[in-house]
Amino acid sequence: MRAFEFILRRVLTAIFVLIGVSLITFAISHVVPTDTAALYLGSTRARPEDLERIRLKLGLDRPLSVQYAIYMGDLIQGDLGDSIATKRPVLQELTDRLPATLELLFFGMFMATLIGVPLGVLSARWQGTWADVIVRIISIVGVSMPAFYLGLLMQIAFFRNLDLFPLSGRVDSNLRFTNPIDPITSFFLLDTFLTSNWVAFKDVFHHLVLPGFTLAAYPIGLIARMNRAAMLEVLGQDYIRTARAYGIKERVVTYMYALKNAISPTLTVIGLTVAYALTGTFFVEVIFNWPGLGLFTVRSLLALDYPAIMGMTLLGASGYVLINLIVDLLQMWVDPRIRLQ
Amino acid sequence: MKRFTLFVSLLVTLSVILSACAPAATEAPVVEPDAPATEAPAPVVEEPAGPVVLRIAYSSTIDTWDPIASFSTEAAYLPNVYETLLKINKPGSAERYTPVLAESWSVSDDRLSYTFNLRPDVKFHDGEPMNAAAVKASIDAVKDHGGAGFIWWSVDNVEVVDDLTVKFNLSTPQPIDLIASSMYAAYIVSPKALEGFAADENFWADGKSYGTGPYMVESYTPDVEAVFTQNTEYWGGWEAGQYEKVVASLVPEATTRQQMLEGGEVDLAERIPNENLSTFDNDPNYTVFREPSFFNYIAYFNTLRAPLDDVKVRQALSYAIPYEDIINIGASGLGTQSFGPVPAGVYPWDDSVGQYSYDLEKARALLTEAGHEGGGFSIRMTYTASNASEEAFAPLIKDSFAQIGVDVTIEALSLGEQLKLARSGADAQDMTLMLYWPAYADAGADNLWSLFYYTEKPSWNLSYWNSPEYNALWDEASALSGTDFEASKAKYVEAVKLLVDEAPGVYFYDTMAVYVIPNAIGGFEYNLNYPFWHFDYYNLRAAQ
Repeated sequence: MRAFEFILRRVLTAIFVLIGVSLITFAISHVVPTDTAALYLGSTRARPEDLERIRLKLGLDRPLSVQYAIYMGDLIQGDLGDSIATKRPVLQELTDRLPATLELLFFGMFMATLIGVPLGVLSARWQGTWADVIVRIISIVGVSMPAFYLGLLMQIAFFRNLDLFPLSGRVDSNLRFTNPIDPITSFFLLDTFLTSNWVAFKDVFHHLVLPGFTLAAYPIGLIARMNRAAMLEVLGQDYIRTARAYGIKERVVTYMYALKNAISPTLTVIGLTVAYALTGTFFVEVIFNWPGLGLFTVRSLLALDYPAIMGMTLLGASGYVLINLIVDLLQMWVDPRIRLQ
Repeated sequence: MKRFTLFVSLLVTLSVILSACAPAATEAPVVEPDAPATEAPAPVVEEPAGPVVLRIAYSSTIDTWDPIASFSTEAAYLPNVYETLLKINKPGSAERYTPVLAESWSVSDDRLSYTFNLRPDVKFHDGEPMNAAAVKASIDAVKDHGGAGFIWWSVDNVEVVDDLTVKFNLSTPQPIDLIASSMYAAYIVSPKALEGFAADENFWADGKSYGTGPYMVESYTPDVEAVFTQNTEYWGGWEAGQYEKVVASLVPEATTRQQMLEGGEVDLAERIPNENLSTFDNDPNYTVFREPSFFNYIAYFNTLRAPLDDVKVRQALSYAIPYEDIINIGASGLGTQSFGPVPAGVYPWDDSVGQYSYDLEKARALLTEAGHEGGGFSIRMTYTASNASEEAFAPLIKDSFAQIGVDVTIEALSLGEQLKLARSGADAQDMTLMLYWPAYADAGADNLWSLFYYTEKPSWNLSYWNSPEYNALWDEASALSGTDFEASKAKYVEAVKLLVDEAPGVYFYDTMAVYVIPNAIGGFEYNLNYPFWHFDYYNLRAAQ
């Protein structure tokens, strides 16, 4: 019951958040001085009569408040409008690209968790030793290194010099002729796995590694630091000393007893960095030419394609709200104390 | 630990659910049965029994697939899919035109009608016959709503004489053969597509092909790639070594394109960063082409107000432009100082019109003559914020003008904003930097008219320079262009001379087109007259 009430309250707040976001984005994208009709026609040299026709078609001749009302009216019906640049429905543009971004995001976050959590444990268990120092350096570098710079370094090192991983894109263009991917879920790793298309699976995995790691660098640093702090706190507690006194193996103490209690704050951090990493994909996607939402958004921003910008902002905001909600729910489930409050 | 595993599995489940909600990103491509690629452990490197594929990294965006509306960088792709009646050869060729969909053409004695005899037995990609009715429908459509439809302004009507003969009736003599070879607004398109567009404005959104060209659009994934495949029925026929498929990857980052080319991920790449060209110059595997281009940088002086309404002041400022430095900074040296607003090599370019040198003494003397000894006035200059070249060289102008006592304020604006301000008349900025190029291979009809021909309401003639003499010269040149090409050119050259002498604008430099072509690929030829059509797939040949 409590959970239901909680979710309801959060959803209601979310609606107000989204209305606020839409209002701000709409206002900003419409005060930027630009000729939307010329953008629509793809040329600044369009004929005046064509420009006029497009202005009427897009409703640009109406007051801003009316335009906003029309936009919101359409939005409620699930219509995000048509992109100025591509002329296709924005909703379709976003859903077409969502799987690419989510695949990268999940892969990156999976990598971050897989690397960050053990690093934190390692660092806490051997606090003050050289291992701890190294982990702390890694996490500081991970947190402070800009994604676009790290991405370029990775490309130079692993593509140009070592030739271990491909430079950019999601899949090798030759594959479409030799081992075409059947887009069942549009998560290529999953699709190739499900269809046992191992050649393509390997290629897709290879393409994921560099952008995935670039995206993961920040969360790795954050997760490692957070998990280290939480572990240190837990490891200093009485029940751990008791466990050790019982002669339980240190590995069991660390992983079975300490990590279990230290994971809750780390989980929050992981959840929040998922939302953060969603914005991180913008840089990563541009560097690695990853055909996802980030690349689309950057292009839309440069073209001042406001329906696309609006759609992406609303999607991003919804993502943030949704992920926060999921994290809260997960915490309630992991940590009974929160449930009891 | 168990809960942690649960969390991970939850994430995975969530991803599956979310992906199930999303529709398929790409249609499964139409491909011949899978080539067996199991025996070798190294899958991608090994050349499988697939088609001969040309992979290109492009920076050109595809704003539309509509060949009628096209007036932007999609001209890099469309000429491989659509054809015009004629093709204009590169400057210096023996013949000016190559017949494409027209086999021959003739002009009436009064120069008021052009008759084209069409190539028989040509079919559009959708199977419709290419005939006089289709030509008429295409030209009518482009006149009605084409992005560059204005190029046909002189055509009263297009007449279907018989199935394979079409006649253009003009209101005034104009070089229709030249206009019919334009890279914009001159494609002949299947009538089925024109009907489709009339019924649904979003007809072209997904990438379709309804042309007669050697390649067809096989698939298009926005922001990712466009795949082209051979039109096996192509009237020109096919020979060994030509590419069966072309995968055009859309890669906005210049350094990424370069790395893809060097790393062998693509066979060709568009627009390698100028500063990195030396790498390729020294590499025996590549040939670097540096060719004249269609583009040039100019600036308008706002001649409505003092002191720029004084020709002496404008000349003085023209002498105070450090042309060499601007080319070095703005284009990494890859440019040549302009002779007026006609780009080098483009009709009616002529170096007899002269140029200004960088001479501060002369500039100071002219200012004194004009009653502005030691300068003492200030100038508001704008440039297009997204243009890196203008951004780089604008400060050079400020520094140089400061030396003759003229103070410059530089403002970066979006192109739309800049044009809006420049069109506001008396409130407009004093100097507007602009990158310009003609819509088709005639800078007389385009640049000279658009940029400096005085009209009541300004469009691109943003210097507000009102010279009846110039207008008269242009009118004469234009009238002669359909009848006497040489006489027409002579008039245009006279007009450009006036532009240089009276300096309603500054003519900075003509840019260069640069291509880095691997020696393994044959058939590359640069044609100045199609500056956006970087790669003609039909002409390229795979390494043997």
